[in-house]
Amino acid sequence: MRNKKTLAVLIASTLLAASPIMSTAEAATPKDQLIIGMSMNNMLTFDPAALTGNDAMDVVSNTYEALIELDAKDKSKILPALAESWTYSDDGKKITFKLRKGVKFQSGNPFTAKDVAWSWVRTVKLNMSQASYWKTYGFNKDNIDSLVKVIDDYTIELNTPDRLDPKLVMYSLASSAGALIIDSELAKQHIVNDDYARDWLNAHSAGSGPYTIKQWRINDVIIMNRNDDYWRGEPKMRRVMIRHMTESQSLRLMVKQGDIDIAKGLSVADVNALKGDEDVKVEEVQKGNVYYLAMSMKDPHFQDKNVRNAVRHLIDYKGINDTIMPSYGIYHQRPIQLSLPATLPEPGYKLDVDMAKAMLSEAGYKDGFKTTIRVLAEPPFLQIATAVQATLAEAGIEAELLTGTGNQVYGAMRERKFEMIVGRGGGGAEPHPHANLRSLAYNPDNRDEARLTNFQGWRTSFQSDEMNNIIVEAAGEMDEQKQIKLYQQAQELYDELVAPIQPISQVVESVVVRSDLRDYVPHPSYTTHFRDVYKAR
Amino acid sequence: MVNAIPLRMDNLAAVGRKLATIAITLLGLLTLTFLIGRVMPVDPVLSIVGPDADHETYMQVYKQLGLDLPIWKQYIIYVNDLLHLDLGRAAMTGQPVAEEIARVLPATVELGTFAIIIGTGCGIPLGVYAASQRGRMGDYIVRVMSLTGYSVPIFWFGMMGLLIFYAWLGWVGGAGRVDLYFDGLVEPKTGLLLLDSAMAGEWEVFRSALSHLILPACILGMHSMAYISRMTRSFMLAQLSQEYIITARVKGLSSRAVLWGHAFMNIRVQLLTIVALAYGTMLEGAVLIETVFAWPGFGQYLTHSLLRGDMNAVMGCVLIVGMIFITLNLIADALYKVFDPRTR
Repeated sequence: MRNKKTLAVLIASTLLAASPIMSTAEAATPKDQLIIGMSMNNMLTFDPAALTGNDAMDVVSNTYEALIELDAKDKSKILPALAESWTYSDDGKKITFKLRKGVKFQSGNPFTAKDVAWSWVRTVKLNMSQASYWKTYGFNKDNIDSLVKVIDDYTIELNTPDRLDPKLVMYSLASSAGALIIDSELAKQHIVNDDYARDWLNAHSAGSGPYTIKQWRINDVIIMNRNDDYWRGEPKMRRVMIRHMTESQSLRLMVKQGDIDIAKGLSVADVNALKGDEDVKVEEVQKGNVYYLAMSMKDPHFQDKNVRNAVRHLIDYKGINDTIMPSYGIYHQRPIQLSLPATLPEPGYKLDVDMAKAMLSEAGYKDGFKTTIRVLAEPPFLQIATAVQATLAEAGIEAELLTGTGNQVYGAMRERKFEMIVGRGGGGAEPHPHANLRSLAYNPDNRDEARLTNFQGWRTSFQSDEMNNIIVEAAGEMDEQKQIKLYQQAQELYDELVAPIQPISQVVESVVVRSDLRDYVPHPSYTTHFRDVYKAR
Repeated sequence: MVNAIPLRMDNLAAVGRKLATIAITLLGLLTLTFLIGRVMPVDPVLSIVGPDADHETYMQVYKQLGLDLPIWKQYIIYVNDLLHLDLGRAAMTGQPVAEEIARVLPATVELGTFAIIIGTGCGIPLGVYAASQRGRMGDYIVRVMSLTGYSVPIFWFGMMGLLIFYAWLGWVGGAGRVDLYFDGLVEPKTGLLLLDSAMAGEWEVFRSALSHLILPACILGMHSMAYISRMTRSFMLAQLSQEYIITARVKGLSSRAVLWGHAFMNIRVQLLTIVALAYGTMLEGAVLIETVFAWPGFGQYLTHSLLRGDMNAVMGCVLIVGMIFITLNLIADALYKVFDPRTR
């Protein structure tokens, strides 16, 4: 009897202890603060020259600015930002920018052309992750100083080593972190051992953007305060906070309850569960990269075009896109992203086991063969790989799945030590065919020693001189119609050669936001701005 | 007086042996972790430069991290730095590992301490109760609760807890240590948010922190309660079958006196070991609860560093975990002497 009493007291006191907590739980976020829940695992630095991954772009796109930006609704439209106007030279090797006068950095220092020069030169000379984009255009540590010319305080020239479509350069300047403009006066005060202030800029901001980094606790929270003197006008949100949250269901509950305003990185199941909920809305934005199945042409099986063609017809594109890809991607089979003038209609590849078997037989693999598929151990990659494994098996190709982290999967790809990979990539932050083809198909030197690890064409050991020539020629073609024709030719050649990277789906990112949030427009090039966001309360 | 000198020498020798054992244990741990890190198929350079970096950039960072040096040289450099109390810099963020651990450890200590208080405070009485009710309904209920608590994945409990107590009932705060608009209001003196907010007199922050802490602490506590109650029951049953218990009952002692005054007193030492181990495990292994509740703690930091191949951070964490377990064992050893005069 006494023991029963003791148990009852224990239970009652636990409940009582919990009850005072009831009144502390508050649901709505403040009207003037934007709270975002997302994984901060890839936010390792906020130095624009060293940024990796796209998650940190949410921060640097709002603490810094570029000379130009791309319209979020029509990403091929270039809008003025820190530059008011620009002109292109006829030879396609120079862009002259007229800079906006009267802009001040968050520090109060005036923005001038020397800040632009310092920022761009810094990116190339530091030679961190963002330098790769510049180097593909021919910039390097030795020539960058001479190619970026300060004409006067508000005029700057960017010369390119080779003739290039100026739109391509502009798109890169608008969408890559390495082109963001740093307050050089402030940054120079924090230089240590000629590091270009790298150590300091890891965790501090020195930009002209609408927000400034107040505090960053790695994998915990980042707090950005409003720049009250922002040249476009004071942003409505006085604070933007990003909280590290990786568990999809926790994100779902928090955004549903209104404890966060924006939830990024939800699983498709949780996104779908929230569709139709009146408290939230799902914003979907198409990106420029693709989910693909890649084959290594170092592997004897895949050196044979018939085998690659067989594999191309052993993918259930419709099934994958209808059942696995909703909210992850949309059906797309071309190497150039959707909606560009140069993009050809879909070639219409489909699952055709009989055709694939015939091709395998012609290649001498009547009974199939064994291979491996490396894949990230997360959705939708694993589901795509599982589906592909099943359809490959119908033609006798036994594919073992090797799961791993991004590090392990793409690491093996960079080392050319793989047979097949289900991955995501293909460039495409810039709305230009070159951005995709450079990533997927360009390979000027196929030797192992060349180590062109930034080109997926090299990683898959795919090399075609004809393809390389078209890509280079098109990148330097000033006439738009001629350029379109060249890119269409490239796509036809890609099909004809049966290039080893077969796109399956173009990437779509889904973000869940509170229904009262206005003017939040996720950007297809990851440069999402918070300056106009407000809450309709 | 003549005997005091050899006694002091004996004590000093014992302390010396203990310290040597600790140092060898920690060095062994670090060496093993170092070797594992070097053969693990995880590339920290890729995590820093991204999968699309060119080879030149990759090699630049590779050399900056010292990975181009022979393994034995990397090891010597690391141990040398360690002897100067330098845990190095995290490869991913470039920040000192010691600072990063100092930032994340208090969050886990706070969570783990509350959890172990709940786990022990509930687990021990439940275990004693179950032992006293052996074969009866009370015993079955406790055993089922214990089995459930130990068998059901803790992250499931976490998500269900959030759904019921946060989303449906609104009784507790959601993920995170505190409501976001309170973040940064309290200067982190100890890193323990409850303590810091109380010291600063920020009672709204205190209440918010408590509302965020209670659910993950209860869930983590329940998980350890399951284990502690089972072990307590086992130990108690072993004691209750002893003759001295029969004697005590025959002498007319109350049930309460028999259970708590006699039987329980003889299992305190064993329970101490169990509780110490449970606490240590919580401090280094609460990663699932930290993930579900977005708790910026040690478990997440260690797991994240491991998956990225950030071996400086991992080794720093291994060192801390080793020191935690060693410290807990030393405290347990000291408390043995309090609870069991025979060990003095």
